[in-house]
Amino acid sequence: MTMTNKAVVLAGTSPLFAELQQLFTEKGYQVLSVAEAAAEPAAVSLAVEVSNLDLQQKGELIRALDSLLAPAVPILTTSLAITATEVASWAQHPKRVCGFGTLVPLAERELIEIAPALQTAPATIQAAEVFFQSLGKETEIVADEVGLVFPRILSLIINEAAFTLMEKAATASDIDIAMKKGTNYPYGPLEWADRIGLDEIFAIVRGLQRDLAEERYRPAPLLRKLVLAGRVGVRSGQGFYTYESKVGVKA
Amino acid sequence: MNTKTVGVIGAGTMGAGIALVCIRKGHQVVLLDANQAVLDKALAYLQSILGKDVEKGKISEQERADTLARAKLVSDMEQLAQCDIVIEAVPERLDLKKSIFSELSRICRADALLLTNTSSISITQIAGGLPHPERILGFHFFNPAPVMPLVEVIRGKKSSEENVQAAYRFATELGKVPVLVTDTPGFIVNRIARPYYNEALRILGDHVAEVEQVDRIMKRAGGFKMGPFELQDMIGIDINFATTESVYTDFFHEGRFKPSRIQQRMVQAGSLGRKTGEGFYDYDK
Repeated sequence: MTMTNKAVVLAGTSPLFAELQQLFTEKGYQVLSVAEAAAEPAAVSLAVEVSNLDLQQKGELIRALDSLLAPAVPILTTSLAITATEVASWAQHPKRVCGFGTLVPLAERELIEIAPALQTAPATIQAAEVFFQSLGKETEIVADEVGLVFPRILSLIINEAAFTLMEKAATASDIDIAMKKGTNYPYGPLEWADRIGLDEIFAIVRGLQRDLAEERYRPAPLLRKLVLAGRVGVRSGQGFYTYESKVGVKA
Repeated sequence: MNTKTVGVIGAGTMGAGIALVCIRKGHQVVLLDANQAVLDKALAYLQSILGKDVEKGKISEQERADTLARAKLVSDMEQLAQCDIVIEAVPERLDLKKSIFSELSRICRADALLLTNTSSISITQIAGGLPHPERILGFHFFNPAPVMPLVEVIRGKKSSEENVQAAYRFATELGKVPVLVTDTPGFIVNRIARPYYNEALRILGDHVAEVEQVDRIMKRAGGFKMGPFELQDMIGIDINFATTESVYTDFFHEGRFKPSRIQQRMVQAGSLGRKTGEGFYDYDK
């Protein structure tokens, strides 16, 4: 097969999945599911795994990829809700596991963060950089901690906005207006959360609380309940706001 | 829109900026400051900005003169007796603000709107124990007041709904974008923006990423106009630290708002950002 050296596996349930699938395809990669890769594992040059909310499922996917693919094939995994080091600890070949983090919509991300696990081999880090740069993104290597830099800071801003809304200190729309007009944020935190997916934001805040065990990272109860109710934002038609249709306009 | 007589207390950067916003919209302004030098500087500022408006062709020479004539600079508080609205913009000290609102409660009409431009002090606390607390509200402009469109209209425990609506309308008449918020620590912006600085400092302290990296990531990955460290340098690290401390104290030490030792050390060292020539970055002194 002519495309064999550019075949990549994409696995996981994050909203990133669909956008990465599209981006990989646009950049000439052949995108395989885990099942498809199982039929021809030798063709795969790299794997990307993007589950954040369900860590048990993430573990199953990482173990499946790790046993399926040759030991030198890099496995890039989102370290938004868990450290790359912990993910790598699940693998028989931890040197090939490397964390990364970004949030949808990818079109707005000029830069993607890479967080090597303590176990990651230098060759894996380099492969991760080359891969993301081949997608047209800049890269920045940061230390391995849940949520990396941008997703962590933004999630905590959104979490605080959720507390503010929960306390009825202000309406959702006034909160968003205030942050855009008062500090020039590109989006209001609540509309931003709806676009990214409340499940992703919740996974990050909960991951920080789980790993760092501080009151500082307590998820806002309202955020947690919205996720449990399936109101994860634009994608589901309802989040902090209600949408006319799944791609619709703020009601 | 009906023309109002607006008192502005404190002729520093904020007060002079607020006075400019009001006279440009046709209101009469009584700008008060106890310090004549500060008043002189405020007048020079108003003259300079309106002069530039003429140069840019935004207003005529006649309009400039008319606008400027709407500002009356005074140093005696009794001169605020006829004001429909008073906006207090003195430094963030509770004792100072309490004494001013106590005086205003005596001097002004019972139906005058009394607004405080505080960014960090409880409106309820400022109004507490005064006659007619229903007319005392927060009215938080952002710096620079003539440029930044937002005004937080803050409802104190005893503010009346009628007066909240009146203040909201007044902000709209000034060409500003008002938002309504109840009297909680940091109101909206200073509260929700805390993690932008605090978590960046935490990330720095834990060596997850360095100053330049964090700023680059927040701009390139997040679309923020300025990184959290550049922004602290611009605001003033001491100002930023004081705001965090105030929100932390007022939330009874909830962990989310805990200030950073890194920031505290920079304040102790006098590395306050652009204004001292060094902060997280070096500037030409």
